[in-house]
Amino acid sequence: VPEPVQYRGMTLLVPDNDSEWKEFYAHARAHRLMVRKCLACGLLRYPPTHACPWCMELGWAWQEVSGRGTIYSYEVVVHAIQPGFKDATPYAVVLVELDEQRGQPTPDEGLRIIANLVRPDGGLEEASKAAIGERVEVVFQDLAAHLALPQFALSGEPPAGPLWRLPE
Amino acid sequence: MTNLRDKYCIVGVGETEYSRQSGRTTRAMAVEAIRKAILDSGLPRDDVDGMLSYQNNDSTPAPWVASDLGIRLNFYMDVVGGGSSTEALIGLAMGAIEAGMCRAVAIFRSMNGYSELRIGGTGARSAAPIRGLDLAQAPFGMRSAGQNFALTFMRHMHEYGTTSEQVAHVKVAHAKHASQNPKALLKDRVTVQDVVGSRWIVKPLHLLDCCLETDNATCLIVTSAERARDCQPRPVHILGVAGRVSKPRTDFHWAHGPITRVAGYYAKDIVFGQAGIGPDDIDVTGSYDAFTFTTMLQLEEYGFCKKGEGGGYVSSGIIELGGRRPNNTSGGHLCEGYTHGMSMVIENVRQLRGTVDDYCPQSAEGIHTYDYSPGRCRQVQDAEITMNLGWAMPPTGSALILRR
Repeated sequence: VPEPVQYRGMTLLVPDNDSEWKEFYAHARAHRLMVRKCLACGLLRYPPTHACPWCMELGWAWQEVSGRGTIYSYEVVVHAIQPGFKDATPYAVVLVELDEQRGQPTPDEGLRIIANLVRPDGGLEEASKAAIGERVEVVFQDLAAHLALPQFALSGEPPAGPLWRLPE
Repeated sequence: MTNLRDKYCIVGVGETEYSRQSGRTTRAMAVEAIRKAILDSGLPRDDVDGMLSYQNNDSTPAPWVASDLGIRLNFYMDVVGGGSSTEALIGLAMGAIEAGMCRAVAIFRSMNGYSELRIGGTGARSAAPIRGLDLAQAPFGMRSAGQNFALTFMRHMHEYGTTSEQVAHVKVAHAKHASQNPKALLKDRVTVQDVVGSRWIVKPLHLLDCCLETDNATCLIVTSAERARDCQPRPVHILGVAGRVSKPRTDFHWAHGPITRVAGYYAKDIVFGQAGIGPDDIDVTGSYDAFTFTTMLQLEEYGFCKKGEGGGYVSSGIIELGGRRPNNTSGGHLCEGYTHGMSMVIENVRQLRGTVDDYCPQSAEGIHTYDYSPGRCRQVQDAEITMNLGWAMPPTGSALILRR
């Protein structure tokens, strides 16, 4: 059983029998963002799960994705509840829509993933830079020999449509 | 589908003090709330032979509580869950009675939600190891209810132009109602400026957009309309119920279906279909206010206004006492106290009985002034039909329609 990973006061547990996350994190540690692809209908899904949520097929294969996407929604945590995040506030949590499967299988769906908005070096980005429509790319935050967290940083590309921020 | 409209009733309600320091166990509080509900119903104790509770490893199981009260059970179950459980368990109670398993069911929720296990707090819940599904969000500092819901709220503002000021009116309305409620934890009225000027918790939520963690126990009793005829207060009839109705995916709902759609989209046809009525027929709503936004999202999804127009609806005065369709007349989770939804059903039962426990001296006899200035009355005149909109999270909700 791999050692639990300590990160920001949290204990992340990925035991050997974790049939969802273990390989995902191993790929992430190799700096590859992999999602599951249904062998029957071909749709990609995240987080890693055992059956296809659209066609219930069990067969799947890892599929590497580009790690590029657009901020679909975000929030800024000002009052952290997790002790390890107290000194990180304000920090942004972003819902990123990856480029691979936008508007599929229905116009309101997509391949989306949750992460922090970070700087290219992996440190937390200024929360005020988060905006719906900003383009981002994956950055891997190495936490242990068998685990890295996929995070997202501003890519510098032109925004996908008008930027939107919470009016303050 | 079988329709049980009007065949079941809520006949008794009871609760303990809303506080932040109960100083006693969930077992003791549950016993008090259940005893009050049984006495309120007028049913003989031995007629209450079913018991349901909901909890998250933060309460006392039904069979222990029943034993303390000398109740021998023919049916019981303790269900995992918080918000949206009340309405769902009312439906399960109806099913258990309909199946001949028991005659009357006491449904309770008992929690030291502030002094022991805080949902949004920094205690045991936030220190637990992170594994499985939690890995998709908790490592990124996304763990509390507010943090879990904020992506949905933010996207609603983006798509529909909903403003912080509009949504603040939910707190303003509920604070107005709480000023008529001797039991409420917070009795002071607030302004829109108070809400949007309070400190940020997780944008777009300010402190006053969030509910109050509370120590409290609540109970209500469900039995058949036939048996309800023997009960003391006027029984309140169940017209329709929908329980823990969910979007296509609950674990990572942000990726499936419109993100601003909440479970009411699916629940409304079930509950209104059973009741044979529509939103216009509802006199009082109890829309779960874990946050100001949750009330707004549900009111629009159930059709009290068009999708996307919730901001305008909640800021129009309609949801305030004296308005066309008041919401959470007790002050709800934002002001009275947080009970995972049961208190809002209790409030609506009292509204339909005409005996809301406000500051009117003869409220228990149903005599009210209908003066909604501070410290007076919160009874809605001639309330005939109420609706509860229970919320667990954006993709899961429940609903209940009652008539007097």
